[in-house]
Amino acid sequence: MNLRLRFAIPFLAGFTAVSSAQDEAAKVEFFESKIRPALVKHCYECHSADSEKVKGGLLLDSRAATLRGGDSGPALVPGDADGSLLMTAIRYEDSTLEMPPKYRLDDAVIADFEKWIAMGAIDPRDEATPGGTQPMEKYSSTIDVEKGRSFWAYQPPKAAPAPAVANAAWPRSDVDRHLLAALEAKDMQPSPDADPRTLLRRLSFDLTGLPPAPESVEAFVAAWKADPEAALRDQVDDLLASPAFGERWGRLWLDVARYAESTGKEANALYPHAWRYRDYVIDAFNADKPYDEFIREQIAGDLLPYSTDIERAEHLVATGFLAIGTKSLNDQNLRQFRFDLVDEQIDTTTRAVLGTTVACARCHDHKFDPIPMSDYYAMAGIFLSTETHYGTAQTAQSRHASPLVTLPVPDAKPPVEPMSLGQLIDVQFRLDREREQLRERVAEAAELRRSGDNDGAQRITLGLLRTRSEIGLLETALAKYDDDGRPLPLAMATQDSAEPFDSQLLIRGEEDNATPERVSRGFVQVIHTGDEEAIPTGQSGRLQLAQWMTSPHNPLTARVMANRVWHWLFGAGLVTTVDNFGATGQTPSHPELLDHLALSLVEGGWSVKSLIREIVLSRAYRQSSAYDEAKFLKDPDNRLIWRFTPRRLEAEQLRDAVLAVSGSLDLERPVGSPVARTGDGFVGRTVRDQASLTAESDHRSVYLPIVRDLVPESLELFDFADPSLMTGDRDTTTVPSQALYLMNSGFILRQSEAMANRLTGDLGLRGPQLGLMAFQLAYSRPPTDEEARKTAAYFERFLATAKESGLDEDSARRTALTTFCQSLLSSAEFRYLN
Amino acid sequence: MNDSLLPPVLSRRLALQSASAGFGYLAFSALSTLAADRAANPLAPKAPHFAGKAKRVIFLCMRGAPSHVDTFDYKPDLTRDSGKAGQRPGAKLLGSKWEFSQHGQSGQRISSLFPHVARHADDLCIINSMHTDIPNHPQATIQLHTGNFQFVRPSLGAWTLYGLGTDNDSLPGFVTIAPPNGDGGSQNFGSAFLPAIYQGTPIAVGGAGGLRARLANAMGNEPKAPVSNVANPRLPKDLQRVQLDYIKSLNIEKLNRDVHQPEVEGVIESFELAFRMQDEVPKVLDISGESAETLKLYGIGAGTTDTFGRQCLIARRMAEAGVRFIELSHGGWDHHRNLTNGLETNCGQTDLPIAGLLEDLKRRDLLKDTLVMWSGEFGRTPHSQGTDGRDHNNKGFSLWMAGGGVKGGLTYGATDEYGYQAVENKVHIHDWHATILHLLGLNHEKLTYNYAGRDFRLTDVHGRVVTDIVA
Repeated sequence: MNLRLRFAIPFLAGFTAVSSAQDEAAKVEFFESKIRPALVKHCYECHSADSEKVKGGLLLDSRAATLRGGDSGPALVPGDADGSLLMTAIRYEDSTLEMPPKYRLDDAVIADFEKWIAMGAIDPRDEATPGGTQPMEKYSSTIDVEKGRSFWAYQPPKAAPAPAVANAAWPRSDVDRHLLAALEAKDMQPSPDADPRTLLRRLSFDLTGLPPAPESVEAFVAAWKADPEAALRDQVDDLLASPAFGERWGRLWLDVARYAESTGKEANALYPHAWRYRDYVIDAFNADKPYDEFIREQIAGDLLPYSTDIERAEHLVATGFLAIGTKSLNDQNLRQFRFDLVDEQIDTTTRAVLGTTVACARCHDHKFDPIPMSDYYAMAGIFLSTETHYGTAQTAQSRHASPLVTLPVPDAKPPVEPMSLGQLIDVQFRLDREREQLRERVAEAAELRRSGDNDGAQRITLGLLRTRSEIGLLETALAKYDDDGRPLPLAMATQDSAEPFDSQLLIRGEEDNATPERVSRGFVQVIHTGDEEAIPTGQSGRLQLAQWMTSPHNPLTARVMANRVWHWLFGAGLVTTVDNFGATGQTPSHPELLDHLALSLVEGGWSVKSLIREIVLSRAYRQSSAYDEAKFLKDPDNRLIWRFTPRRLEAEQLRDAVLAVSGSLDLERPVGSPVARTGDGFVGRTVRDQASLTAESDHRSVYLPIVRDLVPESLELFDFADPSLMTGDRDTTTVPSQALYLMNSGFILRQSEAMANRLTGDLGLRGPQLGLMAFQLAYSRPPTDEEARKTAAYFERFLATAKESGLDEDSARRTALTTFCQSLLSSAEFRYLN
Repeated sequence: MNDSLLPPVLSRRLALQSASAGFGYLAFSALSTLAADRAANPLAPKAPHFAGKAKRVIFLCMRGAPSHVDTFDYKPDLTRDSGKAGQRPGAKLLGSKWEFSQHGQSGQRISSLFPHVARHADDLCIINSMHTDIPNHPQATIQLHTGNFQFVRPSLGAWTLYGLGTDNDSLPGFVTIAPPNGDGGSQNFGSAFLPAIYQGTPIAVGGAGGLRARLANAMGNEPKAPVSNVANPRLPKDLQRVQLDYIKSLNIEKLNRDVHQPEVEGVIESFELAFRMQDEVPKVLDISGESAETLKLYGIGAGTTDTFGRQCLIARRMAEAGVRFIELSHGGWDHHRNLTNGLETNCGQTDLPIAGLLEDLKRRDLLKDTLVMWSGEFGRTPHSQGTDGRDHNNKGFSLWMAGGGVKGGLTYGATDEYGYQAVENKVHIHDWHATILHLLGLNHEKLTYNYAGRDFRLTDVHGRVVTDIVA
């Protein structure tokens, strides 16, 4: 039987409800007459609370302990004898696991166990046994959900007329009127407009993550002179239409989606197919996919109607959102693993879309927000009724591999090379050989054990771990190709499970402490839309969850996204805690403006591009970032937005800008990812080629391989979001390791040289023209007089010092130019947006 | 320069300006550049408010909240009543599985989880009456480090560095070794509104177990350096100095245009520090000169203790080199389940290295003026979660301090009979912060920074120095 399937079942089966009472009594009787005596006689010596030494961490003296299992996982899967470890052990199928160790049970006894498990492993030993589970506890909540709805974030956004302002000439839109009214209330006025060069640089980085080309700057300056409003409108339209837009804004969403190409944690298995989700996100932003649709596809794409296979494929890839999270693949406890997986999905989904920390209600009622534990388990039921397909290979370290989904359309450009027939045969041959070896060694070990040489058997068994892992990896590698060696279009995705069910509530979040009653699947009650749909039988409820989240009446979804967009454009949200709109988050600085933006998003057909356009065309966005002491003292954090807050480029913006300025940037989207080419494996164990996983390339940074705990240095040093955590707001640190990178790293040295070559070679520039172009490339403006003087002095001083050190003149000139380019790339002006 | 006499922004601006003014006039020798920088260096040592015994701090931060009732808070009643109803409805008291015995002349009670640390019982001041505001990791971790979880505030290390400067301006004055990303991330070593140069610099000292180290080993390479890019492969030092002067002049130009830009000030200072670090960092991180006996003392080379052992040894080397504040993190103490194995694993990884650190500091006569502190963000419940776990508990927990002017061999404060909440001589995080500053010779009410017209301090409007534990 397929190992993967074997591990997919226990959770479902564990929850299956039992049938009639009469039936039940007969099964209990069977247990009492056949099974309990056998357990006591053959197993309790090593596997009960009274054992002198419990072996393998396994207790078989209560139902819960048996289900929980020991070091090797749950002992049995009710309803599935073949899938139960207990059967493998007592049948002596696996020499590494033969129980009881000293003798094989009679076939009749084995048959009894088989029958018992097939009947559902009914086991009344719940309360009586000491050392087993605790008695069932009642759950009750004191949270008043109805009252909780009065909190601002759960109230629907309200349309309010824009306030009247005294300085009527300033505003360009209602956005401006809201901001200005708040400023005027504090006797403050906004800052003057920024100059067109600064503004274009700001816009270009904000919308595309790239600096403007020098010729675009000059064209914009000229157009601005003629008609600023028209120039700005046209420019914004161009930038929004550029494919670079999706690469910038997609990356912002990837922070929120904790995108990465490996499981992280101890095993850190690669996700060779995660890149499809990355490309989906980029494409969605470029196509201006309505935000509600974008969310629905990520939560329930597999359940949405479609008209073409291409659309179907897109929907499936979108649900990769639920599959790419961190996973503890080496967790021994399968139920625990399953609940942790679901917890990660609940946590990411609710914080990303709703700005609500629902996962805080896993072990107790939410301590700050009106979210009872039962709401958490209502959502847990939805995700427990979902199969998450994330791949990875089944090995000794990783016990939780899952199959992937094959997309209905082949890749135009496959992410990996096809396999030749010869290669296919070779892999198959190696697989057969490993399997054969496994069989032989297993038999050998069994022989040794029969002869009483347990130590010898043990040695063989341990040696087989590698063989088993190898088999898992080879099987996974083969599964990626069809019979002709063509790579299959595989994706990480979700599907509804065959038999959806409600979750039990776990007291204190303990998987072995479930309440007898189940919580009907549903949503977070305090977030009330009025159009919640009932979850039909036979469905997980993910579709209804997605619809509830994206209902135009959901008070949070549009607010949270509008606030994210604001945060990404102004450097701080109107609600500064962008991922937490709850009681421990901050309240909005401009509540009416936030509501205006949220309503604007919904009314604009959830178009993110329209919302961005509305914001960047405001007068507020165009303000200068100049310092003003009086205003600063009144509002040092610029919560009132009396100026544009100067901001450091993010890691990708900085790296992409360096590549753009040096002329090395490759704007083509690469096919797949280096991780796809590396294939399945465990980072640091079976995957040892660090170079390919942290490889620098000339592509945009969004396409660099993002392996958890192995983020490329060029990103990590500059506060890239830790992909193991959902991140709506990155840190900004200024530490000497960044300076060292700019001074000494191979990447910066290479790009400085490329920039120097571009200036002298491609552009054929010399002397002052070269200097001018270098500044225009790096700063989007000519040097100031002072900068020009300093630069001239630099060349003189550098050459003089080089001469003293005995450097030949040619290489001194060369180095002077290269280090001049490097200096511009390393300077604060290059890294800060004004 | 006394910072309290000038508004900080102004004094720092003047310092930076004076450094830049030197350019055209000074000879290009490294010496004079250095002299100009020294005058302006915000890391230069400053006199404390009064003579404090502690000159530097090594903070061993146990992330996830270690169980106090299983380590440093001896609760015989809890053992006796194990299995009886606990405070939380439905929960049962869980006695500690580890034996507490008395150690040293002081007879301090420490559990069998820390046999090596226990050898230093007479140096430890164990505070058993700690409490904090919120039983949630992010808030409590941030409060432990900054005093305030609601707003972004400077961290303890940043305040310390701001207050005292550092003795070695060729190393960051505040180093944090392998800090975890979650629970506030860089806020826990951030400088907030204090100048950026006071924030902690993360250094990635890993042992044989780290991912990058494993990859490097698999490739047959040396593990990745804790600080990368410390040398320029193409440019000799004198030419790099010329280049950095140029970058600095561009940055000063920007600062002049922007008028007030603390981050650009931070950039300027970080380049200067980085330049100096190129010589100093490889030296301080090179442990090849340490004796085999010393390595053994820290458990380096021995499986489970290797990683934390290396980090502790680097901490000592940093302390010796004059770094003002060094933080080490050890994660995975959040034992909701698997308490038995989890605690044994974690204590097993840290006990010997910490004892080695204390021993080594003592031998070098550094313990007397190095304040070593061990703490998590809160403690755990005396009742069980599941059969083998404990939940969060902010109402009572333990930490210990050693050296640097604290009374050794002292158990201070107490929780109730079961260890649920602090009842005697309670010490809040604010009090602890005030006491740390006091040991360093800083008055927590006077160590202020003016930001946007208001004087801020680490302890806000709280904090009481626990004079009982000061030697």
